[in-house]
Amino acid sequence: MTPGSPSDRFGTALAYVRTMAVFVVAWWALAAWISNPALLPTPLAVVKAFAELAGDLELFQHAGISLARMLLSLALATLLAVPLGLAMGLSRALDDLVDPVIEILRPISGIAWIPLALFILGVGNALPVFIMTYAAFFPILLGTVAGVRSVDRRLIDAARTMGVPRGRIVARVVVPAALPSLLVALRLGVASSWTAVVAAELIGAPSGLGYAIEWYRELLLTPQVMSFIAMIGLLGYLLDRALRAMAQRFIPWAGEARLS
Amino acid sequence: MSTALPATRSLALPMARSVALPIALLVAWQIAGTASGNPRTPVPTKVLAAALQLVESGELPLALLQSLGRVFVGFAIAAALAIPLGLAMGAFARVERNVDPLVESFRPIAAIAILPLAILWLGTGTPAAILIVAYAAFFPIVVNTVAGAKRINPTFLRAAATMGLSRLTTMRTVIVPGALPAIGVGLRIAMGVAWTAIVAAELAVGAKAGGGGSGGIGQMMFIFYAYSIELNRIVVCMIAVGLVALALDRVLRAALRWAMPWTR
Repeated sequence: MTPGSPSDRFGTALAYVRTMAVFVVAWWALAAWISNPALLPTPLAVVKAFAELAGDLELFQHAGISLARMLLSLALATLLAVPLGLAMGLSRALDDLVDPVIEILRPISGIAWIPLALFILGVGNALPVFIMTYAAFFPILLGTVAGVRSVDRRLIDAARTMGVPRGRIVARVVVPAALPSLLVALRLGVASSWTAVVAAELIGAPSGLGYAIEWYRELLLTPQVMSFIAMIGLLGYLLDRALRAMAQRFIPWAGEARLS
Repeated sequence: MSTALPATRSLALPMARSVALPIALLVAWQIAGTASGNPRTPVPTKVLAAALQLVESGELPLALLQSLGRVFVGFAIAAALAIPLGLAMGAFARVERNVDPLVESFRPIAAIAILPLAILWLGTGTPAAILIVAYAAFFPIVVNTVAGAKRINPTFLRAAATMGLSRLTTMRTVIVPGALPAIGVGLRIAMGVAWTAIVAAELAVGAKAGGGGSGGIGQMMFIFYAYSIELNRIVVCMIAVGLVALALDRVLRAALRWAMPWTR
């Protein structure tokens, strides 16, 4: 069987269904054995809760809030990090100047900012947006710098030989060549800010997926807790998929850039 | 930089440049903090004093040790499960096909998201924190191990098969050494993720369990936030979190380089 052939794809799909079936059966057996729906509900109870939460739109409301916060944070982080990254990648002097500050701040995870930010910003929209922007900023910045550095010198030299002005070299040569690694960086940024959103909302927001999880945990409604966890996973997966599709559509010259 | 310049000068200039901005920012922070007039506003001098105090009293080292202990246990569990699984998945297509759906289904779920479940199952103590760390560290190790085991030069595998090596011997002598660098990358990523996860887990446990003393750096930060409102100490904790993250990565990198001299 060659990979990618129809029979192979069928086999993969079959394996997928089989594995998930085994997982569900094992879960069900365990739930039946524990027989405490607050501790471990059956898969059926979770599906029911999921359908109910989806039915009265509560699931989508919280998901929408979290997603909106993430898109805003991502936009902010991109607006800050991409120009700075371009400048740092192009100018050695600026890089020498700014890089130490970046390297001092970067190891401090966004989550470690939560208590201080909570004090300054209070519980609300600002806190998760700040934490997520911070979390997304560093991967995007580093990816942009690396992307600019990896641009083939000969392309820039060629453009310069032909008398192209500096601004146009950046716009027409550097940016397109750096785009693939920028997109990988964006995916990393999305992943790390999506992780941060849950923590930020769990502690310091009156709404959103992280908040909803915690709310239902306090009520000991475990099926609802699991539904929201599933939603977080599903959205995280779809976001990554969307970014990958975007990459293939808009920068087909990049090929499949892989995340480590 | 021209090579004609004396060596001292060519080194001194970038050095001066690299400390310029951090120092300028620290000074600006001090001035702005003092000017704000609020005695609670953290400023570098007060942060330094608070740091000395916390280190001297032993509170900070103790909290860091608690967190580090959890990270190491969780990390070890994750590595012990993820490396063999990843090798099996990378070496045998059948294993990958059957296990991959599970891995890919759970991978997008952030470790912090399962924290409420961990608290529900294991309480607010150390076991819940270890579960979160192990969960967070598991996926980077698996994914990188699989990639490493798959990227092995097929010629080596064919050579091993030609020489009649058993599957186990092939695994031990060809696949494992070939995959080691990728496993190392996975371990480094996992360590960073694990450290972030422990801080998050301890913070959230502190926030949601009403300060039920499970200890650790995250919990300590939360207490400074919620009970004693000492922002200088929170900043000390943040710096400590950053320094430990940096140190963990450096130590792990050095250890991996020592263990795999050929990747140098």
